[in-house]
Amino acid sequence: MNAVSTSPVPAPPARLEAVGVTVRFGGLVALNKVDLRIPPGSMVGLVGPNGAGKSTLFAVLSGLLRPNEGRVLMGGGDVTRATPQARARRGLSRTFQRPELFSGLTVREHLVLGDRVRHSGDRIWRDLLTGGGFRRPSKEEDERVDRLLEALHLGGLQHREAAGLSLGAGRLVEVARALAVEPEVLLLDEPSSGLDMRETEELAATLRRVVEERGLSLLLVEHDVDLVLGMCDTVNVLDFGAMIRSGTPEEIRSDPAVRAAYLGEEPAPRDAEAKRDEEDA
Amino acid sequence: MLQYLFAGLALGAIYAIASVALVATYVSSGVFNFALGSMAFTVARFYYFLNTESGWPILPSAVVSLGLFAPALGAVLYWLLFRHLRLRSPLIKVVATIGLSVALPPAVELVFGKLTNVTAPGLAPVPLKVFHPFGAAVNMDQIMTYLGLVVVLVLGIAVLQYTDLGLKVRALVDSEALTSLSGVNPTRVSLGVWAVSTVLTGLAGILLAPTAGLSVEGMTYLMAAAFAAVVAARLNGLATAVAVALAMGVVTTVIQRYLDPESALSAQIVPSIPFAFMLLALLYHAWRRRAGEPPAGGALDRAIRVAGGATGGPAPARRGLADPTLIASGVALLSVAALPLVLPEYWAGLTATGLALAIALLSYTLVTGEGGMIWLCQITFAGMGAVLSAELATYHGWPPLLAVFVGALLIVVVGAVIGLLTIRLGDLYVALVTLTFGLLVQTLLFTRDRFYNFGQGTAMPRPGFAEDTRVFSYLTLGTFLLLALLIVNLRRSTAGMAMRAVRWSEDGARTLGLSVVQMKLLVSALATYTAAVGGGFLAMNSQSSLPDSYNVFSGLVWLAVLVTVGSRSLMAALVAGLSFHLFPGVFQTYLPTGWAEVPVLLFGLGAVMVAKDPDGILAVHARQLRGLLARRGGGLPQPSGRPAQAALASGSPDSAVHQLTGGDR
Repeated sequence: MNAVSTSPVPAPPARLEAVGVTVRFGGLVALNKVDLRIPPGSMVGLVGPNGAGKSTLFAVLSGLLRPNEGRVLMGGGDVTRATPQARARRGLSRTFQRPELFSGLTVREHLVLGDRVRHSGDRIWRDLLTGGGFRRPSKEEDERVDRLLEALHLGGLQHREAAGLSLGAGRLVEVARALAVEPEVLLLDEPSSGLDMRETEELAATLRRVVEERGLSLLLVEHDVDLVLGMCDTVNVLDFGAMIRSGTPEEIRSDPAVRAAYLGEEPAPRDAEAKRDEEDA
Repeated sequence: MLQYLFAGLALGAIYAIASVALVATYVSSGVFNFALGSMAFTVARFYYFLNTESGWPILPSAVVSLGLFAPALGAVLYWLLFRHLRLRSPLIKVVATIGLSVALPPAVELVFGKLTNVTAPGLAPVPLKVFHPFGAAVNMDQIMTYLGLVVVLVLGIAVLQYTDLGLKVRALVDSEALTSLSGVNPTRVSLGVWAVSTVLTGLAGILLAPTAGLSVEGMTYLMAAAFAAVVAARLNGLATAVAVALAMGVVTTVIQRYLDPESALSAQIVPSIPFAFMLLALLYHAWRRRAGEPPAGGALDRAIRVAGGATGGPAPARRGLADPTLIASGVALLSVAALPLVLPEYWAGLTATGLALAIALLSYTLVTGEGGMIWLCQITFAGMGAVLSAELATYHGWPPLLAVFVGALLIVVVGAVIGLLTIRLGDLYVALVTLTFGLLVQTLLFTRDRFYNFGQGTAMPRPGFAEDTRVFSYLTLGTFLLLALLIVNLRRSTAGMAMRAVRWSEDGARTLGLSVVQMKLLVSALATYTAAVGGGFLAMNSQSSLPDSYNVFSGLVWLAVLVTVGSRSLMAALVAGLSFHLFPGVFQTYLPTGWAEVPVLLFGLGAVMVAKDPDGILAVHARQLRGLLARRGGGLPQPSGRPAQAALASGSPDSAVHQLTGGDR
C-alpha cells in the first residue's frame, strides 16, 4: 500500500520579508536579528516605544539603509543590496515619519509623477525628445489621479504647492503619492500623525478599501496603537531593537511583555517566568 | 630654505587669521561668507586711506581701522544682511553673500576712489627692518604677521574657553533658539561675533596688502586660500583650519624655490596651490562621505526655520491668453526684438552681447533655478565653449555654428563628470567645488599660450549670413528662444517634475522609483551645454574667444544679476543678459566716469535682496500685477484650495508664458 503524502502546501512567499536583520550604529545595536513577514494582501502593524528601531527597520526595508547582517526579500527574491528605486520598481512604496514632499510641486503633480512612474516610466526621457511637456495628459491618467485625489479628499488642494501644506494634508499627499505608483507593498510610517480623529478614520477606511480592491500588502508603523490594533491582521512589537512579540491584535493586546514595554508595567510573575522559559527554549 | 619657510609661515599666518574669521561666522551664524575677500579689501582700503592718503601714523590708523571701522562694518552688515540668513537655504546664503562681495568693492571705490597703484604698506614702519635669525632674513611685516596670529589664537581661546561671553557664543553655535530661551540675546552675541570676525578679516587684508597688493583680486586670492583651509577642516574645526592654512602658506613659498620664476608654469602653479588643497580636501571628504553640511542650529532651530526660498502656497493661476504675464512677456519679447532695428550701431552691438549672455545665463536658470544646485562655474563652461568653438572654427575649418553647437556637446562631458563627482556633496561643498574647478581652469587652462594669445584668444568668425550685428542679434535671439522653449518643455515634462522631486527630497524621489543620479546628471549636462553654447555666441559676437572674459568672479556677477531679476524665470535670463551690458553702457555714455562702478554695485545689492525675496524682481512684479488686476475686478482665480480652483483645467499644462516669466515658482 502506497503511503499518501500529507506534507502541507508551502505558504506563498511573502511580499516583503526581513530575515535576521541586524543594524548597528557604532556600538549601538538598533536592530537585533529582527524577522518580519508581510504576506500578500495583509495588513501588518509594527508598534514599539520611541527608539525601538521602527524607523530603522523601515529604512532597511525600503533600501535607504543597508543592514549589517540579515536579508530583505521581496516575493522571495533577495533585494538586500538593491537600491530604493530598484525596490520601488519592484512594487515597494513608502511614506516617511516626517513627510518627504516635493515642495516645488503641486499636490496634483505629486500624484501625476507617481502615476507616470508606474504607467509610463519611459516618459521621463521620451518627453524631452518629443515635446511631451506641451501635450495634455491622457484621459486615463487624469482619471486615475482624480480618483486618488477624491479618495483622500485632496481635490481642493490639488493645485497648491506642497510647501504651504499643513502637516496633516502633507501626510495625505504622501500617502496618495505612494498609492499612485500602485505598489504591491506599502510601508506607512505614522500616517495618522497630524491628522484629526475624523481624518484618521477616513484614512483608515481608504487604506482598508485599497487593500481589499488591489490586494495590496501594508506595513503600518503607528503611535496610535488603537489604530494599528483596529486595522491590522498581524501586529509586531519592537522594543530596544528586538522583535518581542508577533501575533493577532487580541494576542498583542493581552500580552504582558507588550504592556511592560509600552506602559512600563512589570510582567506578572507567572508571565515573566513563562517568558523566561520561552526565551531559554 | 629657512627663508622660504619663514615667508611661508607668514603667508600661512594670514590665511589662518582669515580662516578663523570664516569659521567663527560659519559656526555661529551658519553663513559661509563669500564676501570675505571684499570685506578684507574694504578694511584694508580704509587703513590705506588713513595711513597713506591722509598721512596718519600706523598706530592710530590701525586702531581706527581695526578697532572702530571693522567692527562697525561687521555690525552693520550683520544687521542689514547676515542676521536674516541664519536659517535660510544654502542657495540664498551663498547668493546673498556673493551679492555683498560684488557690491562692496565698487561702493568702496565710490567713497575712497579707485587705486591705480596697488602697492600698500602693512602694519610695520617703512623702510622695513630686517632680522636674520639662523641666517635667514625675516622682515618686520612678517614678524607682525606671526604676532597677529599668536594674539588672535591666544585671545580667541581664552575668550571662548574661560569667559561668560565665550560660553554664550558656544551655546549659540549649538542652538540659537535654545540660547534665546536661556535668556541670552542671540542677536547681540551674533552681532559681536560678526564684529570680531570682521576685525580678523580686516587684519588679514591689511597684512596681505604689502605682498599681494591692495586690490580685490589680491583679497580674492586670500579668500580662496581661507576657503581651502576651512573646507579641509570640514567647515568647523578651528585647529585644523589653522594648521592647513599654515601648511598651505609654506607649500606656496617653498615650492617656488624649485620652480623657475621666469617660466609660465610657475605663474600657473603657484596661484593654483590653494585650489589644489581645496580639491584634495573635498575629494577626501566625499570619499569618506563626510561632505554634507553640518545642520545649522539645533533641532528647535530647524523646527522653526523658514522654508528656504520656497514660498509655498497656491501655484500660479493659468489663464492662457488672458494671463497678464503672457501679455507682459509678449510685450517684453517684442521690445527686445525691436532693439537691434531701432538702436544705433553701438547700442545694437551691446544688445547682441546681452543676448549672447542671456543664453549663457539660461544655464543658471537650469542648474540653480530648476535643479537647486549651486554651481559657480557656469562662466567657466561658457569660456570653454568659447575657446573650443573658436579652436574648431579657426584651426579645423568648421562652420562657426556647427563649431558652437557640437563643441558644446564636448564640454557636456566635463559638466557631467562634475555632476557625478558632486552628487554626494552638500550644497555648500558643491558651490565650493565648482568655484574651485572654475578657478583651476581659469589659472591652468585659459592662460595657456595657445588659448590665451596675449589676452586676444583665438579668432572666432561669425556665420557668413550673420556678419552684420543686427542679423547676428536675431540669430542670437532665435537661439535663446529655441533653448528657452526646450527648457519650458523640460519643466513641464515628466523629467522636469522628476528633477524638481529630486531637488526637494532625494529620499522621497528614490523611494518613488526615481534615479537621483540620472536626474542630477541630466540637469548638469543640459546646463553645461547651454552655458557652452552661450560662450560660443559670446565668442562669435566679439569675433574672438577672449579667455580673460571668463573670470570666475565675473561669473559671480553674472549670477548676482540673474538672481536679482529671477533665477527661475527664462525671461529673467533675457532681461539680466541685456541689463548686464546695456545698463553699464548707459552709465558710461551719459554719466560721469566716477559712476562707472554703480551698475556693479546695484547688481550686487540686487543679489543681497534675495535674502528678502528669493524669487527676484520679475516674479515680484508679476505677482503685484496679478494682485492689482485681481483687485480691480479682473476676476483672476485665486487657486488656494478654493472652489474656483476646481474649475481650473485639471492637469492642464502650465501656461508656456508663465514658464517663461517664472511667476512665483
